[in-house]
Amino acid sequence: MIIRGEVCVGCGRCQPYCPAGAIHFSGLKSEVDRETCLECGTCLRVAICPVDAIMDDPTAFEYPRAVRKVFSDPTAPHIATGIEGRGTEESKTNDVTGRVGPDSVGVAIEVGRPTLGMGLPDVQKISRALARAGITEIEPCNPIHQMYADESTGDLRADLMGERVLSAIIELEVKKDRLPHILRVLKEVAKEVDSVFTLDVYSLLGPDLEISKEVLAALDSEGFPWRPNAKINVGLGRAWEERRAS
Amino acid sequence: MTHSLHREGTIDSLERDYCVFIYPARGFNYAGSAPKIRRLAELIYTCGAANFCPTTLRENMYSEVATPEEVLASIQKDGTRVYSTWNNPEKLKQLLIKMKEADEGISIVVSGLIDRVRVMAREIGLNPHTINMSLGIHGRTELLPPADIRQFTTMCGHAMVAPGLVRNSLRRVKTGKSTAWDESIVLAKPCACGIYNPYRSEEMLNDLAPVYAVSRW
Repeated sequence: MIIRGEVCVGCGRCQPYCPAGAIHFSGLKSEVDRETCLECGTCLRVAICPVDAIMDDPTAFEYPRAVRKVFSDPTAPHIATGIEGRGTEESKTNDVTGRVGPDSVGVAIEVGRPTLGMGLPDVQKISRALARAGITEIEPCNPIHQMYADESTGDLRADLMGERVLSAIIELEVKKDRLPHILRVLKEVAKEVDSVFTLDVYSLLGPDLEISKEVLAALDSEGFPWRPNAKINVGLGRAWEERRAS
Repeated sequence: MTHSLHREGTIDSLERDYCVFIYPARGFNYAGSAPKIRRLAELIYTCGAANFCPTTLRENMYSEVATPEEVLASIQKDGTRVYSTWNNPEKLKQLLIKMKEADEGISIVVSGLIDRVRVMAREIGLNPHTINMSLGIHGRTELLPPADIRQFTTMCGHAMVAPGLVRNSLRRVKTGKSTAWDESIVLAKPCACGIYNPYRSEEMLNDLAPVYAVSRW
């Protein structure tokens, strides 16, 4: 994002709106720190500037800086998924897609959230650790999949290593018996990252919202407590497009 | 939307904070989904959501960019997703009853306290299919803003509500320059996904303002 210095009146109203904390006074006017800015567009979208001094940075749409916008601006659709945001449909449509079945579990590692954002080398630290442990089942429809240079090593494309984004999600789908192994790997790599990641697992439910015993045992054995709130697909969906329903 | 399961706060506060998503599946039930989604979105309105946003607008209920009729009329595209927030479990229950009766075949996701949703599903006769559980935050958690600020910022599914803005609102309430409700609308504005709960935010601002130390007037 850019604040046009010749227009800005230095009221500072835009500054607290920036999720990355990238807007500061420079002299008597507000200025965007280009390195810290994640191109999320919040400062422009909230229309708080009384003189319309805020505008998109023209280079924000050029590769590799465009990665910032795609992974930070919730209104920017990603070409890989066709949906806005950084993830896929994951558990949200699992009642229709059957993406995660009775023997499987989905794992989502959301790097940079909450709040902090992160440099893409943090994603690579995690993907490399997973690859070293033999875990390479990265969800192909997730936007992050296109950033890989080599899935077998977990290496991302070198020209992206200077970019920062608000968050990116590494999604995996594995057999339930591999969950403890993955959790152990993530516990170790958490000591190496320079930002934070939130972690979640999704699996099928039994009657009366019974959570899989295998999943709970894995969380218990690896020392991962779970929060009392969760996202629950209530099972009202069904497929009708013949191509997939068949 | 992955993030709604990571909403933070006390159990008591989360008792009045649920999200509901209408989510068609690409390649499975996208084609012809627009009128069904529109009918489900009408239920969200009539049952009394605390906040609401279709992906056709990317502006939430408090953005003042469209009337409710215009918001509903915007849902003309197959595959539109609708996000909403609920501060009253009874209203949420009525919504789920009507969604079950409507039987439109689109995936519905409820994000909230597991035990509460379990009881509600049992009462309504729903058979929940999949659960997405939060295993918390890992890594350099010492860099995060404190938990009392995060309970506001995590209410936006895409982290668009800045910690600095929350602190600003707390200052304004503390110093009597604004009310907790008006500041909650300010905080809701950046949330492009419409799941910031301004009612819960108002409660939390009122709770925190008396104990908040003002560092700038």
